[in-house]
Formats: sequence, structure tokens, C-alpha cells
Amino acid sequence: MIRRDFSERDIHMALDGELPGDERAAYDAWLDANPEMKARSARFTADRAALRAAFADVLDEAVPGHLHKVVLGEVPVKAAVPRSRWWLAAAAAVLLAVGGLGGYFAGIDGIGQEDPAEDRLAEQAIAAHVIYAAEKRHAVEVPASDKDHLQTWLSNRIGLNLVAPDLTADGFQLVGGRLLPAGESKAAMLLYEDGNGQRISLFVTTESTENAKGTYAAAQDGPEAVYWLDKGYGCAVVGSLPRERLAEVARSAYTQLVNGLAS
Amino acid sequence: MDEKKAAILGEIPRLRRYARSLLRDRDAADDLVQDCLERALVRLDNWQTGESPRRWLFTIMHHLFIDQMRKVNRRGEAAMLPLEAGEAVAQPAEQMESIASREIVDALQAISPDRRAALVMVAIEGFSYAEAANILGVPAGTLMSRIARGREELRGLLDDTARRRAIRIVEK
Repeated sequence: MIRRDFSERDIHMALDGELPGDERAAYDAWLDANPEMKARSARFTADRAALRAAFADVLDEAVPGHLHKVVLGEVPVKAAVPRSRWWLAAAAAVLLAVGGLGGYFAGIDGIGQEDPAEDRLAEQAIAAHVIYAAEKRHAVEVPASDKDHLQTWLSNRIGLNLVAPDLTADGFQLVGGRLLPAGESKAAMLLYEDGNGQRISLFVTTESTENAKGTYAAAQDGPEAVYWLDKGYGCAVVGSLPRERLAEVARSAYTQLVNGLAS
Repeated sequence: MDEKKAAILGEIPRLRRYARSLLRDRDAADDLVQDCLERALVRLDNWQTGESPRRWLFTIMHHLFIDQMRKVNRRGEAAMLPLEAGEAVAQPAEQMESIASREIVDALQAISPDRRAALVMVAIEGFSYAEAANILGVPAGTLMSRIARGREELRGLLDDTARRRAIRIVEK
């Protein structure tokens, strides 16, 4: 019998048929002796079955006629310009977490270690929101009544053209903004309030990794952050709104922010 | 019809399944397949005799997918596109009968493209680690790490969804 230590890695290998045959018996014995690993193996096995089932029908679908025609040369082959639809959908996949699943914080075991930048941005944005959105009289340094100065000042300090998004269509009025530290850089925080006194904040920083990435984060019991990182800047929208509403407001804010950057 | 074209036609159902798992949206997935087929036809001469058509076509499609994902991420202005496209894609997908099925498809879309591709390649498409690493153009160790992280992330998302569903039921 092969004697070696098994680990979680072997669970994946066994599931994928990559475990050498002569190690199988020892692996099974190891699994039996480790209920936690056995349960994990069972969950992964069930997930794989569910994945296969979810896409099994695709093989039985009739192949769309135009795909046949492409292969048979019955439609002219154009230069390799990707059709827009599929890569838009690919990019949108990132945002599905906001609309569909939501609430998943990339902090569970072994995940999120590769992408600490997003976590850092979201944590800073949430921390700032928790501290300042709760302040009645000292929430902002520059009030919305001085909006032009607020925008110029923050733009100069953080080093990009910051235009405070107009969120009145979403029911939010600008309260004002402030300058904050963000790691070794600076961040602008813009605070908004709706008619019920519910507040959300926008957190914009120029500290961002090369690898642009968009995702979504939520703290367990506190406010949630919808955030994006792009080359050169990062942005988070934080609030304790229902998820769909927060995603909607964030979408509107982000679109305006990006337009502002380019103006 | 020549043999090469017949072999390509035979792979279309598999390509469609792979594309669907990468992109979820049916039309978008078929567009990706069409791009892949067009590129394959242009490069028909590069296809070595004896090379598996499946491996060849999956490699082409994977490159199209990953290149485009990177382009979308690199361009600042493109960062807005997902917001608009997200609205369309977030609609309930057709033909996803069960809640469990929809949940796992949603979760799959929420993990990173690299991990999603690695996991799907092995768990759904049934490629070996060596084949999948070759198609994806990464070392076997990287592939294994993507699969492991992808599985953990997927499970985390499903646990999270289940917890939220439980909370909603309690609240009712």
C-alpha cells in the first residue's frame, strides 16, 4: 500500500480522474478517516453533477443553421472582427454578482488571496462610510452648496477629473465630500442622502492595480460596497440599501464618473 | 464535403456547450462559436493532420474568449459596457428549469473567467489536466490551482445563496 500524506489537492485530482490508480485505496482510506475532507469531496462531487446537468441539454439542441453554413462556406467569412454581443456578455458576467447572486464576499478560505486590491478598496470605502455617514454635522468637509469648489479641490488632490454624479433620478442629493487617505495614496469621498435620511457614499481613488477588474463585495452585517477597479482608478459605492437598489444607483454613479473622467 | 469540415461540424455541439458555460447567454455563446468557426476556416491549413479537431477548435475558441475579456478589462471606456450589458444578461435565462440549475449557472458566471474556463474544461468537457492545460496554454500547476480555487469559489457562492434563501424564508 502506498504511504503518503494526502491533502485537499488530492480531492480535486481524484474527482477529475487524475489520481494514480495505485493510490486510490490509500486515498479512500484517508477520506474515510477524515470526515471533514469526505464531506468536502461529497460537496464537490455534487456540484460537478449539478454543473453537468445544467449544461447537458445543450448537446441535444439543434445546431443553429447559420453555424452550419459558416463551416460549409455558404456565408462569406469576414475579417476576424469579434461580434459585439458575446464579449459584452463576457464583460457583463462580472456584474452578474450584483444583479443575481450578490452578497458574496471574497474572503472565504483560499479565495481572494490573489486579488487583495479589490478587497482593500472595498474595506477602505466601507470603513469611511461607517465613520462619516453616521456623522450629523461633520459628515463632509465641503458641502454641496460649494459643489464647484468641491469638485476642483478633490480633482486636484487625487489627480483625476472628478465630477460628482447627479443621482437625483435615483432619489439622492449630494451632501458634500471629503478627502481621505487610501493606502499610500488619497481618496475622494462623496456623500449622498435621500429623502428619508438614508445615506450612500462614493469612494474614488487613483490607487489601482494594473489588472483592471470589476466585482462586488459585501460585509456580513454592515453596509455593502459595489466596486470597480480599472487601470489608474478605483471606485466603490457603499450603502445599506436593498441590493438591487444599490446596484442600480452604483451603475448610474459609475457611468457618470467614467464620463466625467473623460471630460 | 471534405473530411476536415465534417470533423468541424461534428464538434459544434461541444463548442456550443463550452461557450454557453463561459457566457451563459445563448445568443452571445453562439456568436462566440461563430467567431471560432470563422477563424478555424481561415486557418484550416494550420490544422495538423492527426491533431484532434476538438483540441484544435477548443484552443481557438478559448483564445478568442480570453483575448476579448482582457481587451474589455484594459480599456477604460469599456468598463462601462458591462453595466449596460449586465442589464440584458441579468434577465432570467431561458431553459433553466430548476432553481438549483439556475443557481449553479449564476455562480459559475460569478467566478473569474480563467477559473471558470479551467473548471468547465475538466468538470464538464471531460478533458484531462494535461489536455486542458495545453488548450488553455498554462502550466499544469496553474491549471490545478485554478480548478481548486474555482471549485471552492463556486461552493462558497452556492452556500451563500442557500443562506440568503434560508434568511428570506425565515423573514416571511
